[in-house]
Amino acid sequence: MKVKVVTKILEANDRIALENRKLFDAADVFVINLMSAPGAGKTSLLEKTLSAKSGLKIGVIEGDIAGSDDAERIEKFSVPVVQINTGGACHLDANMINEVISDLPLNALDIVFIENVGNLVCPAEFKVGEDMKVMLLSIAEGHDKPLKYPLMFQESSALILNKIDLAPYLDVDINKIKKDALSLNPGLKIFDVSCKTGEGISEWIEWLKGRHGR
Amino acid sequence: MHEVSIALNLLEIVSEQCRKNGYSRIESINLKIGRASGVMPDALLFAFEAIKIDSIAKGASLNIEEVPVSGLCNNCRNNFTVVEEYVLCCPVCKGTSFSITAGREMDIIDMEVS
Repeated sequence: MKVKVVTKILEANDRIALENRKLFDAADVFVINLMSAPGAGKTSLLEKTLSAKSGLKIGVIEGDIAGSDDAERIEKFSVPVVQINTGGACHLDANMINEVISDLPLNALDIVFIENVGNLVCPAEFKVGEDMKVMLLSIAEGHDKPLKYPLMFQESSALILNKIDLAPYLDVDINKIKKDALSLNPGLKIFDVSCKTGEGISEWIEWLKGRHGR
Repeated sequence: MHEVSIALNLLEIVSEQCRKNGYSRIESINLKIGRASGVMPDALLFAFEAIKIDSIAKGASLNIEEVPVSGLCNNCRNNFTVVEEYVLCCPVCKGTSFSITAGREMDIIDMEVS
């Protein structure tokens, strides 16, 4: 006997993501799903953000395949941080976030960053309950990335072009990155940033404050 | 890259439907998987074979219909389908500003049960 199912395979994930979102909304916390390839500078951006004296009360959920190096880097700033080890999985999913939400003092926070596993493919597919997705691309990754990984660029609200201080040493065409990214996603907000020199961090912080006070 | 978790989600959904309706065996399951869904059909088939043991779907085969990527060009309003590659631009005007209209599916369509 043939029976209809007609269900999205990720429906269960999306349902839990919605639950997460309700918990975050109830505490008036703005949640950012931070995504990039490995080594683009997600944790460095968080370090710069946390040391910027923005007045924002920030918590962090760190997702890594293994280890707690990133959480240890964040802990130095005396902010609430939770480490998730995915044990090999290439992305965070809504259930992993659901299991650690109660470890964060949500009512005392303005913004929660969820640092996803380094990967330009899968994290864009799994909602975790975020208000928005923000992606980093270090310019050394090359100007072909927007057209090679279009979904990530289309799903994100902001693109942080990190390691901008390396521009003089690279052949990368930064204007092409911006042009392609904007044609994929005309509403994308782009920041030129160097987590090494601090360039562009203040613009990013100002934008962040505006998002939280939406 | 994440086909095992996709396969587990799939098994949970079909098992639940069988429990609710009193079906005892799943013979086959039909899926639609978009080429831009990030799911590789071969890897999903492999993952499903591994996790279906000891489940209501242990004898089930998985049939996957792949859905090509389609888009609507924001420049020339052309509806296009990318047949071979996943290089996304409008084949008519070469524009890269488009909305994806198909190809991200990860859907269970129906199943054969007894």
